[in-house]
Formats: sequence, structure tokens, C-alpha cells
Amino acid sequence: MICGAIAAAGFGVLFNIGFRSLPWCAASGALALGMRTCCLDGLHWNLEAATFAAALTVGAAVQVLRFRTDISQNALDVVGCIPMVPGSFAAKAILGMFALTSNTVDPSETLFTAVQYALRVTFTVGAIGTGLAIPTLLLRVRVLR
Amino acid sequence: METIENLVLEDSGSAPALEPLAMVALDAGRMIMEAGASANGVNEIVDKIARGLGAERVDLRVGYASLAITIGIGPNGITRMRKVGHLGVNQRIDQELQHLADRVLRGELTTDQTREELARFATGTPRHSAWVMALAVGLACAAFGRLLKVDWLGTGPVFVAACIGQLVRRELLTRHVNVFICATLVAFLSSLLGGLGAHWCQSATISTAMIASILLLVPGVPSVNAQSDIMDGHPTLGSARAVTVAVILIFVALGLWLGQVLLSHLGIPT
Repeated sequence: MICGAIAAAGFGVLFNIGFRSLPWCAASGALALGMRTCCLDGLHWNLEAATFAAALTVGAAVQVLRFRTDISQNALDVVGCIPMVPGSFAAKAILGMFALTSNTVDPSETLFTAVQYALRVTFTVGAIGTGLAIPTLLLRVRVLR
Repeated sequence: METIENLVLEDSGSAPALEPLAMVALDAGRMIMEAGASANGVNEIVDKIARGLGAERVDLRVGYASLAITIGIGPNGITRMRKVGHLGVNQRIDQELQHLADRVLRGELTTDQTREELARFATGTPRHSAWVMALAVGLACAAFGRLLKVDWLGTGPVFVAACIGQLVRRELLTRHVNVFICATLVAFLSSLLGGLGAHWCQSATISTAMIASILLLVPGVPSVNAQSDIMDGHPTLGSARAVTVAVILIFVALGLWLGQVLLSHLGIPT
């Protein structure tokens, strides 16, 4: 959770969020990583499902807190979920594709691993986007009514 | 050939002029889009500003590289388009525009005053200094490294490599180097420094340290925006963002691969 908080706050600075709002970013990142770890280690869910649950939790928490923070809702929930974006999987997937062109690797095994990483990236990013969107879309339906 | 001005319908004296209204609304949309907003965020701001300045009908098309708006007051209407620049992330501009749009919607500002405010945001919105950003990014990547199970010996090099990578990235972008080339150069430099540092510190996780050093380049906001845009009914924009994210990742991976190849030639296992 501490690592998640540091990563989210660090990216908050990169996104030009003011120092006063950085604790909210850190809290958002800590909540995301805490929830994901609970689902991974406690409930033994897979990474994609745990990421979805974490993003849903962050999205809902940001909706509840959106009038208390001086930071846009979109920025806060995205910054919180940044530590869950599977950048290392994406790099490994593309490097696996590169490796396929060399003759020194077992092509079927390398292809299998690269495709597996690519699918995990796709599903994890999808889980983040869907998890963040659901609370917003539900709230919008309620406001329209 | 007729100039654009000659094609604009003459406004009645009672209605606000359409041309400045459309251009101010488009400028606000362009600024918030360049600050990293999703299509819905852009739509909301433009709609509030245009209606606050007197528009009765507002239709906006949000594209990846341009915005087009049709504004109507009574029987008069106008359609204008505006080019959108590089899509970055700047939360303070986003926040300022949200507040401005609310003020305009409440009728507190005229078109000229709104334009002045937008010009002030463009030039006067503060940014964190390069060193603060570099330190923050270094810390973030080091934290990512710990999440990816980089050992403590490799965490320091990740911090240093990401700090230097961020400083170089900022310098390259200031010099208007192409973002994809910039991604490859920074990925190469950061992964090389991260790998060399981890090797010198006798870390057992050199390969993961190299990957953690380049995570500052992963386009997290565009990838989340891509999906939310598609879900919000903007599949064209969402697809364009997704393709851009994919190409950036390929260029980042290329830089990482070059770093790994160089380290292998130096006899360092990656």
C-alpha cells in the first residue's frame, strides 16, 4: 500500500497536481493497491479480477469524496489506478514478439508467453477502465432521472 | 476564393456575436483536451462555456487532432474547427478550466473576459520544477520496482535512472522532439542506467530493475481515457488513443530492447 501511495503521488506531481492535493492521490493509490492485494492474497482471485475490484472501489470512493477534494474526479481516480497499469507486462509482451524474430529461442514457447502477457495487459487495462467507469455511469443515470 | 469571414452569417444586433463565442468555446475545449481530459470532460466544459456565453444550441465533435463545434442562437448558426496539439496531462489547467466554466455558466464573465482568462491559464498556470518532477518520478518508479519485486539493492539505481530519464524526457519535449522518438531514447537511457546500476550494486533483479526504470513512459492516462471514451460513445477518439498507446509502448519496448542488447554485449546478464 505504501508503494502504491508513493507511486500515485509521484505520478500526481508528473500530472501537475498541486502539493495540497497530493495526499488525496496517495490515498487513492494506497486504496487501489490495498484492495488489489486483499483480493489477490486473501480471496485468491486472479490479477485481472483483483484489478477490476480495486478500480471499482477507487471509482466509488472518488464519487463519494468528489465534493471534498479540490481536484477533478477524473484525475484522482486515474492517478490512483496508475500503479495497477501493467507496464512491465506490456514491455515483456513486446520484447517477446521481438524475440520471435531471432533463431535462438523456442518460437512456440516464446509466442505463447508473449500472447499471454499481451492478453493480461489488455484485460487488466480493460478492468481498470471498466471499474472506474461503472460508478461514474451509474451516478450519471441517477442524475439524469 | 471567399474568406471564412465572408461566409459567416450576419448576426442580429440582439444576439451575441457567434464567431468569438465559438472560438472561445473551442479554445477552452482545446486546452482541456491537451490537459488530458476525456471526451466527456471536453464536451462538458465546452457546453458550459458556450451556453454561459449565450449559445442556445451546442454540438461538439471531439476528434484526436481537432475539435469542431456548431453553435446556434435563434435562426443563426456557425460551425468552426480548431486544431488540437500534443495531448499531455496537466491537472492544474484542468481544474482552472472547470472553475472557469462554472463561472461562465453562472453569467459572471463576458466572451472577452473568458478569452483573457484562457490566455492567462495558457501562460500563467504554474508547473512543478524539473527537479521536483524528476525526484517524484524517480520515487514513483522505485515504488513500482518494489511492487515488481526488485530487491533493495536494485531500487536505488531504478530511482536514479528514472530521475535522469525524466530530466532528459522533459528536455527533449521542450525541444519538440517527436514523442515516439523521445520514448525510445528515454527508454534506452533509463533501462541502460537502471541495468548498469543494478549490476554494480550486485542486485539479483537486474532485468526487473531495467523494466521498472522505464515505467515513467507508460501512457496510463491515455490508456484509461481510450476505454472511457469508447464506453461514453466516442469510439473513433477512443480507438485513436488506443492505437497511439500501442505505438508508444512499441517504441518504449524498442528502447528497452536496445538497452538489453548493449548490456548483453558488455557481458551483463539481463
